[in-house]
Amino acid sequence: MDMLQTSIDGLMIGSTYALLGLSFSLVFGIMRRINLAFGACLLFGASLAIYLEPILGWGAWGLFLVTIVGVALASAYVERLCFAPHSKRHGAVTAMVASFAVWMQLDEISSQLLPQRTHAFQGIEVPNFWWGEIFVRGDQLLHFAIALVSILFLYLLLYKTRLGLLIRATADSPETAHLLGARVPWLGFIIFLWAGILGGVAAFMILSADGYVTPLFGLWSTFKGLIVMIIGGVGSLTGAVIGGLILGLVETHAGAALGAEFRDMVTFGLVFLVLIIRPGGLMGVKIYRTDSLAQERV
Amino acid sequence: MDIYLASVLTNMTLIAFLALSAYLVLVVGEVSFGQQAFFGIGAYITASATALAGAHIFLGLLAGAIGGAACALLLGLLTIRLSGIYFAISTLCFAELLRFFLLHLRFTQNIDGRIIGPDGPEGFSNIRWIFENHYEVADFLLLAVTCLIILLLLLFSLERSPIMLGARMVGDDPVLAQSQGLSPTRYRLSFIALSGAVAGFGGGLFALFNTHIEPAMFGVMLGIHGLAYAIIGGLGSAIGPLLGVFLDIGLLESIRQLAAYRMIIFGGLVALLLVFRPEGIVSPRLVSRLKSRWRNRHV
Repeated sequence: MDMLQTSIDGLMIGSTYALLGLSFSLVFGIMRRINLAFGACLLFGASLAIYLEPILGWGAWGLFLVTIVGVALASAYVERLCFAPHSKRHGAVTAMVASFAVWMQLDEISSQLLPQRTHAFQGIEVPNFWWGEIFVRGDQLLHFAIALVSILFLYLLLYKTRLGLLIRATADSPETAHLLGARVPWLGFIIFLWAGILGGVAAFMILSADGYVTPLFGLWSTFKGLIVMIIGGVGSLTGAVIGGLILGLVETHAGAALGAEFRDMVTFGLVFLVLIIRPGGLMGVKIYRTDSLAQERV
Repeated sequence: MDIYLASVLTNMTLIAFLALSAYLVLVVGEVSFGQQAFFGIGAYITASATALAGAHIFLGLLAGAIGGAACALLLGLLTIRLSGIYFAISTLCFAELLRFFLLHLRFTQNIDGRIIGPDGPEGFSNIRWIFENHYEVADFLLLAVTCLIILLLLLFSLERSPIMLGARMVGDDPVLAQSQGLSPTRYRLSFIALSGAVAGFGGGLFALFNTHIEPAMFGVMLGIHGLAYAIIGGLGSAIGPLLGVFLDIGLLESIRQLAAYRMIIFGGLVALLLVFRPEGIVSPRLVSRLKSRWRNRHV
């Protein structure tokens, strides 16, 4: 029974990791760029939400909304300053370092907004319940549902709309998409906005489940996004979802079996092994082989 | 010399080792998020050698450099199939695993009533080499700068040799390099090992200067800073990473009055700088232009 309980907890947490991974993978899969400021954007959104909460007084749903808007704004800013100017093939490393500089900047802004180390982060109140012998946290169940809806929404956007088609074309080959009339720089901006919105949802879910926010949240979520992306397979959106769930399961089981201290190290060890044995991740092997990506610089 | 100024300058010199080691990996076309681990390993080895075994400082620093190189070589061998983002992430994981190892490393000895040695998360305290040898901050600065200058001279002579030319070629285009008869794998492995040695040496100096080290000091932020310095400074010459360090730490310290807002200003400035000079300040293009101008000066 303990195993089952742990697994269910893991899946609940994993669903939020899946959103983080999706948000990260969206940017990397389509633009081939690593956004180091990813976590800082989430932290900025959350800080803005907490800062504005007493002024607006909209309660938990207000926090949700402001977090998403804040993260999306920060992502748009990062795209304009760090990624749009370096859209050439060789700009990847430069863009990454520029996003690192902006990470520092956003971190500092967040700590100006939230001067203390920890701040309470209010969640949406949902009663907990027992399902047979399994304890289910109501808010986590709600988060699971929100994550599912977000993933479904992203799927529909990418595979059932014209804009999604253009974005997938850009992911395949920016040059061809450009020749066929797609406005590639504009699409890049849209992708960052989407990633920001997804990231904002994920940030709200994680922080309200924890109940507090610390300045370390930025670094933490960048790591989680990267790790989920690697486990699932770079550039594969399905992989990101599966990778998120796997990471959630592995973390909770490792935490339950070995203690919290070992949890992160099990994760890093797992990722290192995945990279050495199966560099493309779970779903990305085909991508790894066919794409010249493997030969590219970051 | 003012103690504050001297310690800022010393810190800049020590971080320059880290930036140079990131630079050496970048030259062969890879990005490493893990140089801080070699820095940390070097620090622990040098500290153990001097404080526990009572070795001579140069022996200790040498051991630190060799230890750093060995770890880097191990990483290079394990990731021999990887490149690009896959390599970058695996360096990050490797560094965190090494740090985890340091977090659990306990080997303390009681020497003259002082507990000396690595003690898990508490770190390694009482590295008393600079007190025992009566080094002032300024003296240590002189030592560190001398080491850095020697390293730079070595790197400059490397820069003029065909080895560096081959490495840059491997970094630009491994396939082209292979068709010219160069082995990208060998270049990559040797440059990664060299970067580990440089980082390990710098880490050793860091341990001696700080007199206390702990695993938390060698987190990923340290490594990313080193990487950023190398990119901001430019990959054209070994001067580049130094320029990056001086720009960041030097400027940050000089606008201390604005302490609370300095990262807000500075982060934006760096991003803007990269918009106008995407290849860093001392870009390869700038270096080759200067070189050809120097060569044609009498024409």
